Amino acid sequence: MSRRPGFLVYGLLLAFALGSAAPLYWSFLLGSHTKQVAAQGVPPLLPGGHFLDNAQRALDTVPFWKALGNSILVSSITALSVVFFCTLAGYAFAKLRFRGRGPLLVFVVATMAVPTQLGVVPLFILMSEFGWTGSVWAVIIPWLVTAFGVFFMRQYLVDAVPDELLEAARIDGCSQIRVFWHVAAPAARPAAAILWLFTFMQVWTDFFWPLIALPHGNPTIQVALNQLQSGFFKDYSLVLAGTTLATVPLLVLFIATGRQLVSGIMQGAVKG
Amino acid sequence: MRHTVRSTQRGRLALGALTALSLAVLTACGGDEGSGDAGGPVTVTVATFNEFGYEELIDEWNAEHDDIKIEQVKVGTWDDAKANLYTKLAAGSGLSDIEAIEGDAMPAILAESDAFADLTDPDLEGRWLDWKAAAGTDAEGRLIGYGTDIGPEGICYRADLFEKAGLPTDRAEVAGLMGTWEDYFALGEDFVAEVPDTAWYDSSGGVAQAMLNQVENPFETDDNTVAVDNAELKGVYEAITGNVDKGLSTRLAQWSDDWVASFQNDGFATMACPGWMLGVVEGNAEGVAGWDFADVFPGGGGNWGGSFLTVPAQGDNIEEATEVAAWLTAPEQQAKAFAAKGTFPSQVEALDSPEITGASNAFFNDAPVGEILANRAEAVTVQPYKGPKYSDILQAFQASLLRVDDGSQNAAESWDQFLTDVEALG
Amino acid sequence: MSRRTLVRGGEPDTPRVSPPPTPSPPTSTRPTARQRLAAWDVRFSPYLYISPFFVLFAVVGLFPLAYTAYVSLHDWSLLGGQGDFIGLQNYREVLDNPYFVKQLVNTISIFLLSSVPQIVIAVTVAAMLDTRLRGRTWWRMSVLLPFVVSPVAVAIIFGSLFGDRYGLVNELLAGIGLDAIPWHTDRFASHVAIATMVNWRWTGYNALIFLAAMQAVPRDLYESAELDGAGRVRQFLSVTLPMIRPTMVFVIITSTIGGLQIFAEPRLFDETNARNGGSDRQFGTITMLVYDFGWQLRDLGRASATAWMLFVLICVFALLNYVAIRRLGLLGGDDR
Repeated sequence: MSRRPGFLVYGLLLAFALGSAAPLYWSFLLGSHTKQVAAQGVPPLLPGGHFLDNAQRALDTVPFWKALGNSILVSSITALSVVFFCTLAGYAFAKLRFRGRGPLLVFVVATMAVPTQLGVVPLFILMSEFGWTGSVWAVIIPWLVTAFGVFFMRQYLVDAVPDELLEAARIDGCSQIRVFWHVAAPAARPAAAILWLFTFMQVWTDFFWPLIALPHGNPTIQVALNQLQSGFFKDYSLVLAGTTLATVPLLVLFIATGRQLVSGIMQGAVKG
Repeated sequence: MRHTVRSTQRGRLALGALTALSLAVLTACGGDEGSGDAGGPVTVTVATFNEFGYEELIDEWNAEHDDIKIEQVKVGTWDDAKANLYTKLAAGSGLSDIEAIEGDAMPAILAESDAFADLTDPDLEGRWLDWKAAAGTDAEGRLIGYGTDIGPEGICYRADLFEKAGLPTDRAEVAGLMGTWEDYFALGEDFVAEVPDTAWYDSSGGVAQAMLNQVENPFETDDNTVAVDNAELKGVYEAITGNVDKGLSTRLAQWSDDWVASFQNDGFATMACPGWMLGVVEGNAEGVAGWDFADVFPGGGGNWGGSFLTVPAQGDNIEEATEVAAWLTAPEQQAKAFAAKGTFPSQVEALDSPEITGASNAFFNDAPVGEILANRAEAVTVQPYKGPKYSDILQAFQASLLRVDDGSQNAAESWDQFLTDVEALG
Repeated sequence: MSRRTLVRGGEPDTPRVSPPPTPSPPTSTRPTARQRLAAWDVRFSPYLYISPFFVLFAVVGLFPLAYTAYVSLHDWSLLGGQGDFIGLQNYREVLDNPYFVKQLVNTISIFLLSSVPQIVIAVTVAAMLDTRLRGRTWWRMSVLLPFVVSPVAVAIIFGSLFGDRYGLVNELLAGIGLDAIPWHTDRFASHVAIATMVNWRWTGYNALIFLAAMQAVPRDLYESAELDGAGRVRQFLSVTLPMIRPTMVFVIITSTIGGLQIFAEPRLFDETNARNGGSDRQFGTITMLVYDFGWQLRDLGRASATAWMLFVLICVFALLNYVAIRRLGLLGGDDR
């Protein structure tokens, strides 16, 4: 690429990045002061010295590490599952011809249009029937596949996998599965990385379903953090110290995946 | 093109994924917590929200009992606990053995009380203040909820602002000035004449709630017919909306950010304070000196809040759960909970216990809060009739007051909309 | 720019090369086992690939939908359970509800105020991220930071920003001599505030989706465009946008669906106990109405009916958007 960005681009991106990061910094600020300061809403610009104290209190109040472990486990597995099943299905919708392909795709996309708030009741009934409420399966199963994932992978693969490559592979005598594995899957990698990251984050931030579906002793991190809000007077310095602490693993994940994402994206761009 | 190098990487990735999935299967399958097998102790789960003060009590019970163990399931707010409760009631399973329910939601639960076990026990007769026990009893006379705490109200006030306005500041004197709502509002007009930048009370909603609690049939008649167009309700409405122009109300919604900020900005001088509100005031008004607590409530007495322990009928351990619930709501235990977290007992005997009579609060000028709250609790005479639509109509009513507060509508329009809203509840 | 250069794959100035001719299969009258297996492979593997998805989906996706539809046709109280079959009466009651139309308009307004700027900004940010920045990884990951912030923090922060009386934005406005804006009371202002919350959270997300698509565009197209004398903006409009068309369709459709379902942000913005969208439901959305019917008024029948009416609305909007994209031929290329 020969396009070097100028100051304008850097300036705009900086403004955007600052806007994106400001609330995170704000919540860290509120978690680093005493609760009186936190109750006043707009904190001073610099952090107070109390973050570690507040964080320690948060760690003492809720089963933080256990919940963190649960969240990491649940989010990783579901993200992996979504990427796997949705890439497969997305590829089929994008590149394979079969009867009912069009209507089925429309149907899948249409199911996203019904709001999910009511779905918790039938879903809970279902999970109880199978005996999964009370184990991590209850939060994993509903997330194994998403209509969003299928739609996303399909749109990406439609252009990202050149038909000629598929043809060539088929003519070379590959079976369908090998065609998928050797041609489509590598091309899908950048989108797969994004889908993995997005699914991970969405499952990570999910609150209400884990609240009702998981046993008390085995919460995910959002449910555990919610317990910090008990009491009529909300100690926001405690709550925000806890939530800020809980974002650290996500930030670590960002850094790790970020490099993957960039390199994956770059590889996808090199067509030969 | 075979991409042989990448295929090895992908092979490893796939292997890793499969391993992770299998590990997950293994751990997940073994991860279920059983609730007592034959011969082992029965675990009774108690679901609470906010702070009930049960932590030490539960440790105490568990140390003394081998056959029944208690486990507390805490949710941060009643909002979340309610959503959880309703979802699992609709699904028919998944509730804890004991579910704490907020007082305002009880009328709706009592109207369709089949989902809960009958906790009537002649031994417990007279344990609670009669209006509290009545609030936990359904139309057929079954006791569905054991009362935990109550929220008897006194008046919190800013003695320093009173002084500025030339009003008396001593607790007893102030108490003499606010015996009725007319007196209270008249005093307020005197106050804002002297201190125009500060409102008299914290919110229209708070005062409305207090006034409604003294009306016998605010929204529904005793047979559950909705009758909101009645004289008393209209009277309350007009009094409060009339006060807005007189500057008595801050015109803020309770619990909003602006309301919290108003504590630090001399936003108002008095407030209807149930016991649990004292902690909120202390937190929000940290650094502000001059708060005090008077043993008076306009109209006599009022109660705001308070919860019940119920035993869902879908549970497996109803007998044990009933036993535990009875123990947790006994006078001695509730008094200890009060000492721990400030939840004021609803049990008659507890009102005389040393924890209550000796309780005082330094932030409120060392007011003897226990004594004051006990007096206020006993001063509650009228209990408003609360039918199944009580909470819904209350919400609509509060919204109508807020519309006048924030200027979206005038009093007449807002009242008409309130009537339409109530009809649309269906 | 010549049409040829927009054709995917292969060098821009050479015609498409067909694969080398293969030797013709042996002319026997009966297909071999191998050939039959291969044919079977081609015919049925698509169904095999989508079946894991559909099996799981039927369980966790379809069952709740069917259940909700079933419930919407009955008199169904949350505490009392299933009642009589009443056909479409729930739907009629919801349509007659005094707040339904108001919340419908709110929903559409908030949707437009959030989706339109979001997509425009996201695609612009993605284009900027698509360049040879220093520290590319950091810039790209920075746009995802809003996702990490917990809803509690979002509520506190945006509440402090948009407080009607003591909020930061109003203080800044007062500082430069303007009137305070009643963010929670005025209908349009509340929509702007909520759209800001939504946009803040989701723009980076969409930007990354666009970025992934942009990165897949062959660089040589840009080079030839530059040779043809096109500036950066022109390249963006004529090369980038058409090439990311399937993704653009994706983002527009998912933004439509998501934007009409907005629920969490208005609820967080509402500070009253009821959380129905303000004292006069100035910013209540249809999904909030679903929640109100179901979990506050405890009427699952009306809640389900509202959910399905929202579904119809979303389908209409998504269809309109899709048709608009095709008709206006904004993005050129063939139909994807």
